[in-house]
Amino acid sequence: MKYILLMSGTKAGVGGYQAWSQKERDAHMAILRKINQQLTDSGEFVATQGLMPPSDAKVVRGEKNGLPITDGVFPEAKEFLLGYWIVDVASAERAYAIAGRISAAPGPGGVPTNMPIEVRQFASYPSK
Amino acid sequence: MKYILMMNTMKASQQGQGIMGWSKHDLEAHIAYMMKLNQDLTNSRELVSAEGLSFPDQAKRVRAANDGTPITDGVFPESKEFLAGYWIVDVPTPERAYAIAARASAAPGRGGTPLNMWIEVRPIMSQPPK
Repeated sequence: MKYILLMSGTKAGVGGYQAWSQKERDAHMAILRKINQQLTDSGEFVATQGLMPPSDAKVVRGEKNGLPITDGVFPEAKEFLLGYWIVDVASAERAYAIAGRISAAPGPGGVPTNMPIEVRQFASYPSK
Repeated sequence: MKYILMMNTMKASQQGQGIMGWSKHDLEAHIAYMMKLNQDLTNSRELVSAEGLSFPDQAKRVRAANDGTPITDGVFPESKEFLAGYWIVDVPTPERAYAIAARASAAPGRGGTPLNMWIEVRPIMSQPPK
């Protein structure tokens, strides 16, 4: 079963991350890379990506003639996707355990961020 | 350049008012449109991946307890928007990503009327942030 693990944050939260020291960022990324390596070794890894910060986000919709209308203004409360992991695991509990490990990655001063990770199963396509 | 095109559904408070209430005919027309879009993007070698997610009632959020074990919670704020699905495309310009997003936005809804829903477009990072 494939699950996506979504890490989200607000603009303010992203601003906070940008204030971390280089050492803190390196420690954070080292743990995430280690998790990725272990998921690769266990055959559960499908994909992971980080996204560019919210300042680079646009919302687009189709005009009546099909042309794109773009807008870069978002409500302050909006949560932006920061990155995700796709894993192929035997059970939902295993997906939660992996999300728990990601949540425990160290933040400032080496303290775990304990940030919430949204866990969602892929729909089998086409949906009924 | 890789971009992610994210289609968000209604908020948790509006759950059940969406696609589940459509007729089978409308639903099939919508899915056929999306499959055509994916096929066109495959043919143009711009599609990296596309997935739909299960409904928000199956979503959980997880965080680590102090001992590292997962704590799960299925309760979300009423205002939360849920990701319904996404496309990752590899295109030469942001304008091309916006044009693809507009096509996804124009997918037919009830009675074949284009949904014209907003699609969030974001560049994907090529490496860990510096």
